[in-house]
Amino acid sequence: MASVVPMKEKKLMDVKIGELPKWILMRDFTPKGIAGAFQRGYYRYYNKYVNVKKGSVAGVSMVLAAYVLFNYCRSYKELKHERRRKYH
Amino acid sequence: MLSRAVLSTVATAAPCVKNAALLGPGVLQATRIFHTGQPSQAPVPPLPEYGGKVRHGLIPEEFFQFLYPKTGVTGPYVLGTGLILYFLSKEIYVVTPETISAVSTIGLLVYVVKKYGASIGEFADKLNEQKIAQLEEAKQASMKYIQDAINLEKSQQALVQKRHYLFDVQRNNIAMALEVTYRDRLHRVYREVKNRLDYQIAVQNMMRRKEQEHMINWVEKHVVQSISAQQE
Repeated sequence: MASVVPMKEKKLMDVKIGELPKWILMRDFTPKGIAGAFQRGYYRYYNKYVNVKKGSVAGVSMVLAAYVLFNYCRSYKELKHERRRKYH
Repeated sequence: MLSRAVLSTVATAAPCVKNAALLGPGVLQATRIFHTGQPSQAPVPPLPEYGGKVRHGLIPEEFFQFLYPKTGVTGPYVLGTGLILYFLSKEIYVVTPETISAVSTIGLLVYVVKKYGASIGEFADKLNEQKIAQLEEAKQASMKYIQDAINLEKSQQALVQKRHYLFDVQRNNIAMALEVTYRDRLHRVYREVKNRLDYQIAVQNMMRRKEQEHMINWVEKHVVQSISAQQE
């Protein structure tokens, strides 16, 4: 019966859809935990695309593209008024 | 220095062990043990050559691989085209004057990257190589220095084995000096004794000569006396 991995240690891709809420609630939501999550995510991206011997423009450009998208979403409310047609 | 610190801490912690401190600073007390954990033997993994593959500089390769089983090669492109048309037609993306400036900016950036990307990469690689060469040189110099120090230590340790030659020579010298002194004194003793004996002989000779002369003088005197008495 030791073949069943306890819930706490499963990665996101191994969690089934039905168990998702339970898994999300299980995560560490303290400020330290959230900071740790941001740090982990940052280092994952950094070590994969930037911290290599022959880095390419993709490492930076993906961040800039994400930033552009983020700002577009934030300013969509004002941009809505510049639409050419009212009904689509 | 470390053994002294250990000794002082042990002495303050357990007074009954103080008499053990009298063993001297050369003996490391085993009561405090440092570095009990195993040091990590794994070497630091080297930096990867290339980063994660990204297509068109924007979309990671994993996305294309994710869609490949279901839609084949053209799947993500069709999805991209469909999304773009959807955003344009439903005006989720609004065409404003900023669109023109964005398009020209992106076009310029793409042109610059395509034209000069490789050469800038080579330049950066050369800088990196220079840095690494410097560090490697420093490492080699340090290693050589330490190796020289080790060799020097080894040769000096080997010298210790040959110290007995020095002591043998010194011993021989001392023995010879003792022998010389002994013989010199022996010679002096001989000379002094001979001197004394010569003196005795000289005294005896002189006494005999004096006696002979005296006797000759006495006989002569008496002969002369008797002759002169006879001539009267």
